[in-house]
Amino acid sequence: MTVRWIWLALLILVAQAGCGPKALIVVLPNADGSVGAVTVDDGHDPVLLDHAYAAGAVTGGKVETKTATRQEVRETFGKALAAQPILPSHFQLYFISDSDVLTSESELRYRRVFEDIKRRPVYQVEVVGLTDTVGDRAYNQELSAKRAAAIMERLVADGVSREAISIAGRGELDLAVPTGPQVSESRNRRVKITVR
Amino acid sequence: MRCVGRSLYEIAAGCFLGTLVVLSLEVPASAQSSPVAQVKTVSGAAVIVRGAQRLAARTGDPLFEKDTIETGKDGSIGITFIDNTVMSAGPNSELALEEYRFDSSNFNGAMLTDMRNGTLSVVSGDIARSSPGAMKIRTPKAILGVRGTKFVIKARGK
Repeated sequence: MTVRWIWLALLILVAQAGCGPKALIVVLPNADGSVGAVTVDDGHDPVLLDHAYAAGAVTGGKVETKTATRQEVRETFGKALAAQPILPSHFQLYFISDSDVLTSESELRYRRVFEDIKRRPVYQVEVVGLTDTVGDRAYNQELSAKRAAAIMERLVADGVSREAISIAGRGELDLAVPTGPQVSESRNRRVKITVR
Repeated sequence: MRCVGRSLYEIAAGCFLGTLVVLSLEVPASAQSSPVAQVKTVSGAAVIVRGAQRLAARTGDPLFEKDTIETGKDGSIGITFIDNTVMSAGPNSELALEEYRFDSSNFNGAMLTDMRNGTLSVVSGDIARSSPGAMKIRTPKAILGVRGTKFVIKARGK
């Protein structure tokens, strides 16, 4: 009788081992080498995974932690990782004071934006125009919208699909370099561009 | 009485018009809400489940809150959300976009995805940065909170 119970317990153990955990989470380093964190909360004791290759296995009991190897990640997650889209890119282009004309440096930089868009099979582009604090707010709101529109027209002229571009003007509302009113600041005369 | 005498032709026409009304109601229903993500990569069998519809996923397709993505045994799919969160699923995967809201003017938002089965790679975006607890992923038997990172999940819910 006791032997039968032991066998049953063993069978259950083997069955569980064969199935593996309900969920396995592995934190990976970002492209720039930094590492964020993931908390795993199974309703009992939340576990924090906050270093590269930190792994948590959710079994229904306590979350088991360990450090995974690169090879394990490649074997288990290779196909999911291979399907990863090109990551979004961020750019800033700067303008000549009180105009929607790019500075000569940003004129060169524009090319990088265009090339980044073109390497993507499908893309969405967001352009947000901004100004420094010289002039009144309403005027700057309009100027920032003009800057965003100028970049959109430029991209469209270069063959980027208009439907894939969205534009907005935010005037003085997002200063890269905080200043008081009526301060000329070249780093605030810009558009922020996200390509994804 | 007039309604008793209604011809089959009239009934058929009524049915046809009824179908048209239903169809025209359905199209704006999905167009009403704006897309929360876009399909960027597809390989093998990958399906978007939207209500009762099952649509073969294609590169460029928009995705909406409440959509579910499924991949077959040779399939994979990669998507990018409007807050720049990037996710890609390997074979035999099922991922539901349960809740999603994002305000691009202040980068605040919240998302909950349900990773029911398979493998998933995630690179978090603006929502995870906006506040602790803003980005959550449900897996079988656990909820994950994400703070600015790349990570992978294997889920065995089936």
